[in-house]
Amino acid sequence: MNAPAVVGHPAFDGNGFDPARAEGIGLADTRRHLWTAIRLGWQVESNWTDPLLFFIYTVAKPVASLLLLVFMVQIVGGTGASGEAVRTFVVLGSALWAMLIAGIAGPAWSVLDDRERYRMLKYLYVSPATFLLVLVGRGVSKLAVGAMGTVVALLFAVVVLGLRVDLAAVNWPMLVITLLLGLPPVLALGIGLAAVCLQTRQESWSYPEAFAGALFLVSGVVFPLSILPAPAQIVGLVNPVTWWVAGVRGAILPGGASSVGGAGSLWVTLTGTAIPDAVTTIVVLLLTGSVSTLSAIALFRVSERRARERGLLDRTTGS
Amino acid sequence: MNTLFPTRETTADPRTDADWTGRRAFETNLRALVGRAYPRVRGLGREPSWIFFEILLPFLGTSAFVLVYRALQAPEAYVGFVVLGGAMSAFWLNVVWMMAGQLYWEKSQGNLELYFAAPMSLMAVLLGMAAGGLFMSGTRSLAILLISTALFGVQFHLTDWALAVPVFLLTMTALYGLGMMLASLFLLWGREAFHLTNLAIEPVYFISGLNFPVARLGALGAVAIATIPFAVGLDALRQLAFPGMPGLAGTPSPQVEALILVAMTVVFLVASQRLIRVIERMARSRGSLSIRWQ
Repeated sequence: MNAPAVVGHPAFDGNGFDPARAEGIGLADTRRHLWTAIRLGWQVESNWTDPLLFFIYTVAKPVASLLLLVFMVQIVGGTGASGEAVRTFVVLGSALWAMLIAGIAGPAWSVLDDRERYRMLKYLYVSPATFLLVLVGRGVSKLAVGAMGTVVALLFAVVVLGLRVDLAAVNWPMLVITLLLGLPPVLALGIGLAAVCLQTRQESWSYPEAFAGALFLVSGVVFPLSILPAPAQIVGLVNPVTWWVAGVRGAILPGGASSVGGAGSLWVTLTGTAIPDAVTTIVVLLLTGSVSTLSAIALFRVSERRARERGLLDRTTGS
Repeated sequence: MNTLFPTRETTADPRTDADWTGRRAFETNLRALVGRAYPRVRGLGREPSWIFFEILLPFLGTSAFVLVYRALQAPEAYVGFVVLGGAMSAFWLNVVWMMAGQLYWEKSQGNLELYFAAPMSLMAVLLGMAAGGLFMSGTRSLAILLISTALFGVQFHLTDWALAVPVFLLTMTALYGLGMMLASLFLLWGREAFHLTNLAIEPVYFISGLNFPVARLGALGAVAIATIPFAVGLDALRQLAFPGMPGLAGTPSPQVEALILVAMTVVFLVASQRLIRVIERMARSRGSLSIRWQ
């Protein structure tokens, strides 16, 4: 006996089959899946404790990282006007790093969490949402937690460390544009690392932080690229994180020191200009961000296919 | 047949089988220790990706801090402080990720019930984890130290080897003793274990003076010296490797710090033994401590 047709629902052909479900997902479904993944990530991150304790855990890490660097500057005589400029440079870069590291580590840790701890990865994989979308959603929730850390670290720097930010002088349009343009490549780097962690074992917990630590070297976060050797400067210039940090820093402190240009930098040699202006920063961020995002998606697709072929999605390891 | 640990023949009488001699218990615990250390040692050769992610990338992370000092034109000894801190941080990361959080991970994986059910001491399992972890992190630490020293031209002025070697070994015993103690605590704290693990990295790096002499932190540094083996061991090794550097003044001498490490080792090992008994008792009485997702 044929199943009754669904009255008023053209998607059904009268046999209980919905062709739309086999033809891929539409924009509304994508939005719903992404939102569900974000909410899931937020729940996983925060539902284990009360909000106050969660807040303490969230801010202790970025504030400690900030203090570690500020003390380094302070100890070697970072006083006076030049010391103040160096301290401001370091504080801003370090505070932004909290958000970056969360975005980079988020998707990779989600893979490891769901595969090794909760053993839910295979169920997530076969859910109607695409796996990539699930990981992006989980990454966004981690990024949101990291952004909290960045905001608190900045407030700490202003209130306790005496960081001076003139809100009237902040280039707000530039800040908003660079912040928004920088987030997809940051998540893309996380997706790339998730692709690596799909292939590796449980000890990969430390891989995202190790990768971020290496990126720290070539992104002009706490020192200008000009002090690096030329090959490392090239890596820095093609890295979207460099441009994101430079753009945000330039927007918050217009006229401050640049991490990209300056005396002896490869940027000066290549372009003949002292430092990149706001438009150049945005354009290069867009270009490098697009390339890294597309590369990360391609890497993820390859890794996903290999993981499926070799049964890695439900493999658990330990040592 | 395993010639190192031959399998004991069973008898027809269960009472005789259950009557363990001291030697038999010792041999079994030794087997448990070796068995628990084995995957950590053997695993190094099974997946070489760790060479890239756990030696090369952490080396680049350490290099970033070196370059901060170079950018600030700091005295060259500070570069040595960073390199030594970077090498020692491999042990701290191993203690928090693979010791402190380990029983909780084992619970999540469903292995912990087997540990409780097996006829062995859980201390043997913890010691095996520590031995394997020490080997893993030792290779990483040595690689970071050698590469950084060669690349950045760090000059160590280590003359008192007779003190430096015991200080290093005491630092390791105190660190891994702390890890064994935290393993039981983290198991009791459940899901907070992961967050505590995360929390035990940067804040501990800061108050232990990872990249600068801990003495510069004043009272906070003194608290770190008194409570965190990473802080006291790192400071003692810096004093021995860079004698006479002005930034290092203000903390106890390496001899006194060695005694602090001895005290820490004793306290942490005794505490870990007591705590493991507590969680064994709780696992049996509650029945939920060792079960996944409980």
